[in-house]
Amino acid sequence: MSSEIEVVFQPYGKRTLIPSGTTIIDAAKKLGIDISSLCGGRGTCGKCKVKVQSGIEGLNPLTEQELNHLSKDEIETNFRLACQARVTLPSIVLVPEISRIGKQRLQTEGIEVPVELKPLVKKYFLKLPKPTLHDARSDEDRILDALKDEHGRSGFFDFDVARSLPIVLRESDWAVTTVMWGDKIIAIEPGDTTDRCFGFAVDIGTTKLAGFLVDLNKGSVVNVVARTNPQIPFGEDVMSRIAFAITGGWNALSELQKAVVSGINEMIEECCKKGGLKYEEIYELCFAGNTCMQLLFLGLWPRHVAFSPYPPVLRRGVDTDASKLGLRSHINANAHFLPVIGGFVGADSVADIMAVKMLESNETIMDIDIGTNTEIAIGNKELVMIDSCASGPAFEGMEIKFGMRAATGAIEKISIDSKTLEINYRTIDDKAPVGICGSGLIDILAELLKSGIIDVKGTFVKEMTKQTNRLRQGPDGWEFVLAWKNETSTNTDIAITQADIRELQKAKAAMHTGCEILMKRINVTEKDIDKLYIAGAFGNYIDPENARTIGIYPEISIEKIHFVGNTAGTGARMCLASKDMREYAEEISKKVKYFELAADPDFQTEYINSIYLPHVNLNKYPITKGLLQRLGSLRL
Amino acid sequence: MEHRHVEDEMMTAKEEVLKKLVQAVVDGNLELAEEAAREAVNAGVEPYKAIIDGLSKGMEIVGEKYDAKEFFLPELLLAGDAMYAGLNVLLPLLPKREAGEKGTVILGVVEGDIHDIGKNIVKAMLTASGYKVIDLGKDVPVDEFIKRAKEERAQVIAMSTLMTPTLLSIQTVEEKLKAEGLKGKVKTIIGGGSVSDSWRERAGSDAYGKDAMEAVSKVKLLIESVKAAALQLKDSEEQKPKKEKGT
Repeated sequence: MSSEIEVVFQPYGKRTLIPSGTTIIDAAKKLGIDISSLCGGRGTCGKCKVKVQSGIEGLNPLTEQELNHLSKDEIETNFRLACQARVTLPSIVLVPEISRIGKQRLQTEGIEVPVELKPLVKKYFLKLPKPTLHDARSDEDRILDALKDEHGRSGFFDFDVARSLPIVLRESDWAVTTVMWGDKIIAIEPGDTTDRCFGFAVDIGTTKLAGFLVDLNKGSVVNVVARTNPQIPFGEDVMSRIAFAITGGWNALSELQKAVVSGINEMIEECCKKGGLKYEEIYELCFAGNTCMQLLFLGLWPRHVAFSPYPPVLRRGVDTDASKLGLRSHINANAHFLPVIGGFVGADSVADIMAVKMLESNETIMDIDIGTNTEIAIGNKELVMIDSCASGPAFEGMEIKFGMRAATGAIEKISIDSKTLEINYRTIDDKAPVGICGSGLIDILAELLKSGIIDVKGTFVKEMTKQTNRLRQGPDGWEFVLAWKNETSTNTDIAITQADIRELQKAKAAMHTGCEILMKRINVTEKDIDKLYIAGAFGNYIDPENARTIGIYPEISIEKIHFVGNTAGTGARMCLASKDMREYAEEISKKVKYFELAADPDFQTEYINSIYLPHVNLNKYPITKGLLQRLGSLRL
Repeated sequence: MEHRHVEDEMMTAKEEVLKKLVQAVVDGNLELAEEAAREAVNAGVEPYKAIIDGLSKGMEIVGEKYDAKEFFLPELLLAGDAMYAGLNVLLPLLPKREAGEKGTVILGVVEGDIHDIGKNIVKAMLTASGYKVIDLGKDVPVDEFIKRAKEERAQVIAMSTLMTPTLLSIQTVEEKLKAEGLKGKVKTIIGGGSVSDSWRERAGSDAYGKDAMEAVSKVKLLIESVKAAALQLKDSEEQKPKKEKGT
């Protein structure tokens, strides 16, 4: 049964040969086709729906997971989950728009990592004996004794809870629910409310907030929301926000703090509304974010993290009253911010490392969290090192003439026909192009290189004007036209300029330098890396091969590259669901070694070498070198 | 006629070697630059001429190509390295007074910031243009800029930073210059990733250079204005005693 079977993917028209019994998603991966999947192929997220147009009779019967996620209509029209369906006959598979990565644009979700449910918040229902002349124990002791006897728990009262205790006990006829955070009793609620116990996890990103309402009885996510970070008007990047705070003083810091809290409160309200609960039923909140976000959210004086040697104020995980921060939740709810590692590697990195289990791994893992600041971690259970580089916002479309965020009308995928030098592109929501977003920028850089329109230095090859009129002198110097004005919705030609390419080169060089120098310092080579995880909101949409072709990261074989999504959110959820994970986070923050990239003696040389596409030393990129040679487009 | 012919030959030999110097810099070829510099000396080219019409000319071309977006950072840095390789041969042969005659610039990345690639490029371009550059490196304490400017009798302090918060360090230098009554006597130019002309206005710096090429042309203007102001001051000081007598 080792025969190979042909699978064709539509609408791409791509085909591949795979061994019988391979899942559809693995076949797609082989072709580099992105099918949404968040659960890592366990069939629990239901994101990878595909329509099998022929060969359905060769598939395994619908699995239990598929029955959970597919509607009757979908089953009747031959929809399957790509991670569950295994192919044994030649098949044609249609990947519908919804399952193509690139539809949900404010990416909030990351891989799900199962953890043993051990929340700090626990509820206990107690039916207490009424006080009599023979049993006149205090209200407090009555509860503490019952807790001990019935649940084996000892605890102590938050003083504020004791104030109204006599009324609650008597009005509820001595049937109450005790809410505990650790050993502290944070609420006494009338009746039995044990089935309603919620927490809220937040990834505080510099540009985006992602919130997850979690049922603490089950550990499951009730719903998810996203918001842009309301701090953006104070500065696009963390450094501008810190500058705003330190020039404006405590009032300015408080403004920033209130802004982010208001965004979080909106998310809480939206989640509660959707989930049919009151915000008072949220008893704990967990936060992950970079170190600057930690400072600006907790209201810690942020100046010194912006000045060399960039020390953080607090490394440890922080517990504080949610109400003091102005968060909309139970009055006695705890707010926990995960520990950070250093000034430029925050709780989001701790969460990343936790989610991909780097410190437990026998294999050597590289994790790149792509953003305005890109963090790179490499290691295994022996040692993990991390560094951070100022990659800048170029790949988010900033400083790029027709650059834009990933929104409707953004060119998100683009290719150049190697013979005609004509262009194919796809835009978000299939609308007429307005501009180009990060994933499109990576594509176009790779495609220009592969078609010999730019050389390895990133410079336009002027002789190519003989072959394509898209390459021309524009108002801002040399440019390559991506969409003619009759195609666009802006009535102007959309082009990528030489200056744009320079900005992108600087950004990609920063990221590559972060990878390269860290690999040197931890003493591994490309070959030693068993897995490369791409994290971050932007990561999921990029073409891993094109990103490698232009040298964002070292040449690592495609099957080792995996997208893990917003792992900062994953880590925050893990810590919300389990106190063990919080201890583990503490361990990560202490064990992981921070490496200051900009202070490395090789930094400048490596950065300059990495400006080249993919690298000044092409022998580090044998696959790309071979590809360019084969295409006859290697321009030195 | 015979005599004339030899002179012509010598002329072309000198021109050839200058061309070679220019090309070595443009190509960013360190070995060639060093070799050409030695050849220049052997061919009897004045060291000063070899620097100006060879190495500096090369850097000028590189700068033009950068402006035209034809060259990028690697070419700039390689050209700079080639220029330094040539300078290592030629500078020791230069009569003392010629070095630094054009003006002196104190250069550094401001306190709190350690990103110095941009600064290194500016250094190469300024050096190529014949200025004496005192490079203080990165994360330079505020007072160090001022102290060294006084010691070196520099006309210009050039500061750079990539990060936004460290822009404040620029402001601190400006404030200290003012407090010490040096504003105007020493002019300042700033640049770097987070710097803009509007920030220059806010910090009270005298000039902003968007890249190394612009930095060079602005430094030239700053030095001229400082020298002119110094001359004026000298003139007015010579006139002062007379006025005092009159009152």
